[in-house]
Amino acid sequence: MNEIEFRKRLYTNPLEVSQELLAAAGADPALQKILDQTRELETEIVALVNAVEAPSGLADKLMAITDTASTETELQNLGDVASKPAANNNFFQYYAIAASLLLALGVTFSLTFDSGPSSTEIAVGDDVLRHLYLDGFEIDEVNNELNTTIFGLPAINAVMAESGTRLVSNDLLQNLAIRSAKPCEVMPAFQSAHLIFEGTQGAVSVIVINNRPVSIEYSFHDERFNGIVVPMGEGNMVLVGENNEDLEQYKTLFADNIDWVI
Amino acid sequence: MDEIPILQGNTKKQRYESLVAAVYQDVYRYAFWLCKNQPMAEDLVQETFLRAWRSLESLQNDKAAKAWLFTILRRENARQYERYRPELVDIDGQSIAETDDNEPDSKMDRQLLHNAINRLESDYREPLLLQVIGGFSGKEIADILGLNNNAVMTRLFRARGKLKVEFGLDTVEIED
Repeated sequence: MNEIEFRKRLYTNPLEVSQELLAAAGADPALQKILDQTRELETEIVALVNAVEAPSGLADKLMAITDTASTETELQNLGDVASKPAANNNFFQYYAIAASLLLALGVTFSLTFDSGPSSTEIAVGDDVLRHLYLDGFEIDEVNNELNTTIFGLPAINAVMAESGTRLVSNDLLQNLAIRSAKPCEVMPAFQSAHLIFEGTQGAVSVIVINNRPVSIEYSFHDERFNGIVVPMGEGNMVLVGENNEDLEQYKTLFADNIDWVI
Repeated sequence: MDEIPILQGNTKKQRYESLVAAVYQDVYRYAFWLCKNQPMAEDLVQETFLRAWRSLESLQNDKAAKAWLFTILRRENARQYERYRPELVDIDGQSIAETDDNEPDSKMDRQLLHNAINRLESDYREPLLLQVIGGFSGKEIADILGLNNNAVMTRLFRARGKLKVEFGLDTVEIED
């Protein structure tokens, strides 16, 4: 066995070495030296990496998740807002960011308590707006009547499959002209689909995210757009239209016609 | 890695608690090496286990529970990184965990090794950490990272090759 091949096989896992490699090292002092050095370094790596210990109390916090999450579910079932964890818990350390977003975006909650969505959840609306401004030419095309495409159900569902969803009924399309349907990267780690149709005040975007970063419905707006983030099924749906667009009618229409297929 | 069932009990809560007890240390270690920051690692682990609790019923193979958790953690780390773009941390200044050997020279070497691991590109560091911390096989690492087995082997080879060069055990990186 030549040295390169020996190294290639040794380096993939120095502490689990085949008999063949051991035999090769036994027959060649140079290879034996490589084996010994590599194993010594690996022992140091293992010791160092695994010397990191979880902070005291972390296990208790993780166990307590069952109680907190159960409480959230019960409160949501009652139509109330889930309570937030203790204020000094680092799990929600980004409330300072949330406060500034609230001021900048004008976030409102359709909830009875003031705890509302977390900073992580609020940031989803921020991400969507940023995405629309970066990718806004299609919205402008619809608003300027430059896009006359109408997507049919098969083409729409081919795109929505990316987000693990599908439109289950053609009825929705009788009332709405879907001008654009494409995969979306508003949250790069998760598959999403972005539909654009003509609302009454301009283009309306429907973004379906194959994940559930938001557990509480809330609305948001800036100088131009207003939006709703809706937890539904296995993920989230975000509707965004011009500021004077009433999105509630579309929320119900899409929520009733979208199925999760994963 | 031996496929040892780590979920025990009949109720969802019992199964979740047995999962926490069995793997939370390894999950935290991996989070720490990803985040290079203890508070962020703790937050990441809590978010990971929260998602695990909520979707525990979707785990189809109990024996793959650890790999499942690590996959959730990586997704959460990616999502949080995209959202918050944390401030760059002076990784060379991060304190390292103590080991039993407290000789000054050994401590310096551990700091050098700690820094060297952190300086590896993530493509090489992550498979290495998954193998060392999680004890995952090449196939399991491939599944977690969305790669094929050959790619994982190549990255492990390169990771260790780079570390050996950094510590003067090899003069040049061996080309794959």
